[in-house]
Amino acid sequence: MRILGISAHYHDSAAALLVDGVPVCAVQEERLSRHKNDAAFPEGAIEWCLDHAGLQPADLDAVVFYERSLLKFERILTCTLRAFPRSWRSFPQAMKNSLGEKVWVRGIISSRLGVPAKKIYFTRHHEAHAAAAFLTAPTRRAAILTADGVGEWATLTVGHGERHADGRTEITALREIRFPHSLGMLYSTFTAYLGFAVNDDEYKVMGLAAYGRPTMIEQVRRVIQPTADGGFTLVPEYFEFQTTASRSYSSRFLDLFGPPRNPYDPIDLETVEGRRFADCAASVQRVLEDTLVDIARALHRETGLPDLCYGGGVALNGVANARLLAESGFERVFVPPAPGDAGCALGAALYADRIYFRNPDREFPDHPFWGPVVAAGELARAAREDEQDVAELEDAELIERVAEALAAGRVVGWMDGATEFGPRALGHRSILAAPHSADMRDRLNRDIKYREEFRPFAPIVPAEAADTYFELPPGAARLARYMSGVFPVRPEWRERLAAVTHVDGSARLQALERGMAPRLHALLEAYGRRTGIPVLLNTSFNLSGEPIVTRALEGYSSFRRCGIDLLVAGPTLVSKRAVRREKPAN
Amino acid sequence: MSSPARVAPLDRLLRPIHRWVWSDFDRRVRKLLAFGEVESDGGRDILRAAELTPDPLLRRLYLEHAIDELHHGDLFRQRGAALLRTRSTRLKTLFNGTPLPGGHGLDDLSVKDEPDHRLLAFLHVAEKAAAGRFTVYRELVDDDPQTREIFEEILRDEVFHMNYTYTQLARVLPDSYRRQVWLARGKRLWQRYLRIAVAIATVIGNAILTIMYFLVLPPFAWVAKRAERREQPGWTPSPRRPDELPTSQY
Repeated sequence: MRILGISAHYHDSAAALLVDGVPVCAVQEERLSRHKNDAAFPEGAIEWCLDHAGLQPADLDAVVFYERSLLKFERILTCTLRAFPRSWRSFPQAMKNSLGEKVWVRGIISSRLGVPAKKIYFTRHHEAHAAAAFLTAPTRRAAILTADGVGEWATLTVGHGERHADGRTEITALREIRFPHSLGMLYSTFTAYLGFAVNDDEYKVMGLAAYGRPTMIEQVRRVIQPTADGGFTLVPEYFEFQTTASRSYSSRFLDLFGPPRNPYDPIDLETVEGRRFADCAASVQRVLEDTLVDIARALHRETGLPDLCYGGGVALNGVANARLLAESGFERVFVPPAPGDAGCALGAALYADRIYFRNPDREFPDHPFWGPVVAAGELARAAREDEQDVAELEDAELIERVAEALAAGRVVGWMDGATEFGPRALGHRSILAAPHSADMRDRLNRDIKYREEFRPFAPIVPAEAADTYFELPPGAARLARYMSGVFPVRPEWRERLAAVTHVDGSARLQALERGMAPRLHALLEAYGRRTGIPVLLNTSFNLSGEPIVTRALEGYSSFRRCGIDLLVAGPTLVSKRAVRREKPAN
Repeated sequence: MSSPARVAPLDRLLRPIHRWVWSDFDRRVRKLLAFGEVESDGGRDILRAAELTPDPLLRRLYLEHAIDELHHGDLFRQRGAALLRTRSTRLKTLFNGTPLPGGHGLDDLSVKDEPDHRLLAFLHVAEKAAAGRFTVYRELVDDDPQTREIFEEILRDEVFHMNYTYTQLARVLPDSYRRQVWLARGKRLWQRYLRIAVAIATVIGNAILTIMYFLVLPPFAWVAKRAERREQPGWTPSPRRPDELPTSQY
């Protein structure tokens, strides 16, 4: 069967294609449209997936959308009614927003793809998350936890899944927490309060948390309270996201936590205000972790299973993931490379294949590289036209030259093979640099990524060497495979890994297996031979406000605009030269 | 070649409104922050053009243009933020991420679908209009030398942008480049009309929906609130509806 999965309309839309139960390709719309977090119907992604597989829309057996749009509309309308008459301002906007396009998903898919309506299927939002987490993980039986802002009604679900020996697959949802009680919305509310962009900058709150002390836990626990049955509830008086789109928190929230941060003011951790914001971030982070650990512990007791598959946007929180592994009782925690809404495109397709159509289970290739492949020739041509220094080299020579440059303190843009599916750069679209000094971190923040000083960079290390430099508890290697966990850097290495060691001594590392990205693995080894430490700083290949690069020319334009010294795409190596300016001096 | 920074008759006509906007602290801050987003969006669109064009010279020029626009975005944002630090504002929401009406990048131009000549004509007309308007703004912020300085810097860049787009348009389409400029002007006018039409339709739509809200919704709201009171906090069993069809949106 040929099944196309689609996620769209809220943030991070994507398409994924399954053929006979195995993924062929998957890509986020933003990677093609070049609009960060593009939420539009993913026409570009669908077109690319079909082209890549050599299919026409008529060849598809099913198109699966990742949520039930009318159920979602029911939730929006119900919340508006519950908030009457305070919701009078948001009502027109909510209706126009929903009725304009979002509830007519079947018609939109049918008209834009030209497939008959009977071929269009829907999963629940959290079913898609659960499938993306469980059916992509190398496990036969596992407990399943999903947590995000909100789907239709559910914001957090628990259940379990089993892939039987006879090929049948079962995913059982046990229970759920419903909107407006949501860990994702809690974290997003604090994201907005701390002056960051909701649905985009949540990871900045996590980074900031390491600078603070959780001194405001008591206040946070007043806005999220445990329930007698082991769940939780958000106290509605502190929030406004359920009644209005313009602000997430209420005046009572401000009475509790003080004035919000002006988004245009930099965070100065030397000031009282700066420290208050860091403490606030640390407090909400701690409460989020505690709540997740409690829920996961109960799930472990209930299912008795050793594995947990964990999906949804909240699963991008690597600090919480590490605590889940350490404290929930599960031996292994699987977080897919795309746990957020983009991953639901793949999850919806998998759910339909295994559950709706009862197709036999298939092993899922354990890597994240499902997007467009970089065309090295495109880079060589453009760079030569701009009179850059271009070399086309054999692998061994290229790797030695790049390792040499990295050891000399140069910054490298690295493009190799197919793009990653998901928000992390896992070795195919990365900016690489030496990880040894804080100066490098500051240089990258200042000249290349143009971002806040408090944000850490991540290390990448060969999986077999990871334990030497990082304190990895049992099961951590799995989380580190897709950069999904934050673990301590061993104290004796912190000074020599200063650019990737966060203020609290931790790092969100990627432990790279040779088979996943052989060229990058070889580069790490070559770098290790030169410096004695086979660890590199690895950050996503994009500039501030832009999606990760996909094509060679996008990498090249980023290379031209920032302080990257070398650019690699396949066998092509470009070294930066000063270019003649077309613009006359003022 | 076009003369730099000539103020359009419409902007001359609208000068009292511009003065009203720039004379108020909150409105000035909001305008600067919104300009920051518009310039950055435009910069990203031009960057996309640089990545897509097969013409190496245009790629270099677009890239420089994009870098300028992104820089302008930073200048506006930084100035807005600096003004905010000088005194408190009565604005509840400073800037919610929604750009100025119609100000999303290059007027929602789909860069990937536009050939270079049409993009150049569009950019030329847009830059010329922006230069004229920024000339007016520069005069209206005489009391604020730093903001004035930003407009001056941007105006210098706009002159380069106006000129290179015109020169390159003449190079890539020597026979009909003037016609392209007129077409771009016509398209811009049409977009303005659409923008006004959409704004009026939005006001009417909001009014109708608000009336419906107060006339139709109250009994349903009463029922919804009653139902909410009966809900237990915490866990809810996951719905298992045997009649739930995989093809149903509900």
